[in-house]
Amino acid sequence: MTMERPEPRKQLPGPPEGGRGHSSPSSSESPRRLAELPRDELDYLAEEYGLDCTRFKGAEELVAALHQRRQLIAQMDREAMLDVVKWGRRPIPANATKEQIAREIPRARSMRFAGLSARGLIVLAMLRDVPVTGKETIPDLVKKLKKQEGIFTKLNRKRRAFIGSLVSNLIGEQPADANYQFLPPQPESGRSGTGGAAGATIKQDIEESGLFGGIAGRIRKSADQYLNQKLDEIEARIDRKLDEIDRRLTEWRDKEIANRIRILKITLWASVIVAALALVYSYVKVYVVGDAGGAPTPTIRKIDR
Amino acid sequence: MPDVDYFQLFRWSLGTVVTIYATVITLQSLWGWYVWLAGSDKYMSLLRRYVILQGLRVRIRGFWGDVAISGLLCVAFLLMWRLHGLIEAGLL
Repeated sequence: MTMERPEPRKQLPGPPEGGRGHSSPSSSESPRRLAELPRDELDYLAEEYGLDCTRFKGAEELVAALHQRRQLIAQMDREAMLDVVKWGRRPIPANATKEQIAREIPRARSMRFAGLSARGLIVLAMLRDVPVTGKETIPDLVKKLKKQEGIFTKLNRKRRAFIGSLVSNLIGEQPADANYQFLPPQPESGRSGTGGAAGATIKQDIEESGLFGGIAGRIRKSADQYLNQKLDEIEARIDRKLDEIDRRLTEWRDKEIANRIRILKITLWASVIVAALALVYSYVKVYVVGDAGGAPTPTIRKIDR
Repeated sequence: MPDVDYFQLFRWSLGTVVTIYATVITLQSLWGWYVWLAGSDKYMSLLRRYVILQGLRVRIRGFWGDVAISGLLCVAFLLMWRLHGLIEAGLL
């Protein structure tokens, strides 16, 4: 097994609307920054945005698709996106950005569209790569979405639904609360609560702590925010690397097992061939030549009735 | 001049040598894995659990074709063995 040489650390591309306080890259430099990322990072981003990364052979195509997807998300109606999230019961805070909402929507894989508004259906269809004109009726959209699913995916989903209903009946599931509830809103200042209250102005900081104390607190808060952001990025990168290592080890294990089984099969073929030869040899020796090596030579018995 | 059946000699010597060789290699490999994974180091413990996890996550679906062929070959081998015994005893 060969281990991948660690990539030099690069700045992750920020979302177009500045999720978690990221600085928003302009749309012209965004593809350039995406193009600097290694392929596994691009694949991860593509999955996050609901793109099938196996459809894109080269990194350039994937970067272009990601850029297009981000532009599409920027043009979407936030309320329509929230409709999808509520329908899919994905956990997000009420003040989540469009970017964060768009990353949650591909995780809602349900094909039961009851309760989803028309605008939500359009957003869902667009993020599932279903061609929409915006003039379709709800049944048309549902039909298109179902058609796009594919026969094997549908069969797998039906199978999972069947198992789910079995397990649900077995353990006696409690009905879930019908009302969707948002997660608590995420603080604008990141995880850290140091350096004054969240949302306090610099005027209030200085009023509370004096000129230097207020400015120092504000700088400390910014530094903490930056550090938290960077730590989050590093953590996410390490997680992805660990997942990648795990995936490669799994592939290596499967290849190794397949090789061993193949070797076993070849050995068994050789054994069977030698056994067949021995069988022919024994048959010829006993029944044709008549040399049974001590065993009685068989005679043909005729049974007359 | 001793009456030697060369085919029998070849068959038995091949079977004996190959069986002993395969057994020794397999036992050596198993012993090596056991010694390597039996370490009390905390990283080794982590690795041991990971190897067990990888083993549990193996899905037979990926190898079912080869496994089925191997099973059929085993059955064929056992049938030939039995047939061979019947021929040698003159019961066929």
